[in-house]
Amino acid sequence: MGLIGYVLRPPLALAESVCLAALDAVLAAPFTDEAVRRVLASGALDRALDEALAGPLVDALARDLVRHGVPERLARELIAAGIVDEVVQSAELEKGVDQAMETHLVDAVVGRLHESDELWRLVAEIAESPAVTDAIGRQGVGFAGQVAGQVRAESERADDGLERLARRLLGRSPRPAVE
Amino acid sequence: MNNYAGLVTRALAFAIDAAIVDLTGIAVGVVVGLALSVLNTPDDVDKALLAAGGVIFVLWTVGYFVVFWSATGETPGNRVMRIRVQCPDGRTLTRRTAALRLVALGLAAIPLLAGFVPVLFDRHRRALQDFVARSVVVRVPG
Repeated sequence: MGLIGYVLRPPLALAESVCLAALDAVLAAPFTDEAVRRVLASGALDRALDEALAGPLVDALARDLVRHGVPERLARELIAAGIVDEVVQSAELEKGVDQAMETHLVDAVVGRLHESDELWRLVAEIAESPAVTDAIGRQGVGFAGQVAGQVRAESERADDGLERLARRLLGRSPRPAVE
Repeated sequence: MNNYAGLVTRALAFAIDAAIVDLTGIAVGVVVGLALSVLNTPDDVDKALLAAGGVIFVLWTVGYFVVFWSATGETPGNRVMRIRVQCPDGRTLTRRTAALRLVALGLAAIPLLAGFVPVLFDRHRRALQDFVARSVVVRVPG
């Protein structure tokens, strides 16, 4: 900073303080709220917004949002606040999903997926994965075990029933208990 | 009282074993038969091979039951039905006793299966082959 800057610094600082004080006074003044209301009611703000949205501002804003990771930060905050859970469980979303399902969109998506070779390759990979084959194997063995258990239980009942019948036919007493 | 396996359980276990023995025999027979059909063997050789096949099947059947009864007391059929052939004191049968039991099993079946009827009346649910081999068939706790 040169000599001029050194000399001008005090009056600039004074001017800055005066401006801020004037702004505070304007904001605190009773007519400010009325002035804002009139501006909003005039439609000038709508026109200004329309102008801004039609221009390159939106593109620049989108680029900045991505550059600063705003969507991720926003999502993190929404999840942390439990808002995502609320939305997912809301009746409105359910209704919206129902309406979407009734449209031809779902049929179109399913049709596209059905025609996709990649999808079938993925399905084949999943079906052949060790986790899936193990699960199917376990289920098969479990089912066979269940059937065998049922057969065993029935056969034990049949053993006793047949024995009782045979003994009754020959007038014999029931088989004594044996250790 | 319910420690000993009854007639129905034993019959089901035997049916499973019979199916295993027979299906294995049939499968081997079909494969050998197909192989021989390719070769142009004389009738005498065919007859000799048939007789040998019969002997092998009998040996396979005897071996199947004798080995399982003398090894663990549980054939695959017994394992499915959770029953075991053993001596009354819990020991497994010797090979000789197991072979004797198999012969007695055949004898029990000859007079219209009359040899199995004692299972219904004996307090240890023993059939003819159990009396002969001094064995019992017990349920294995699951």
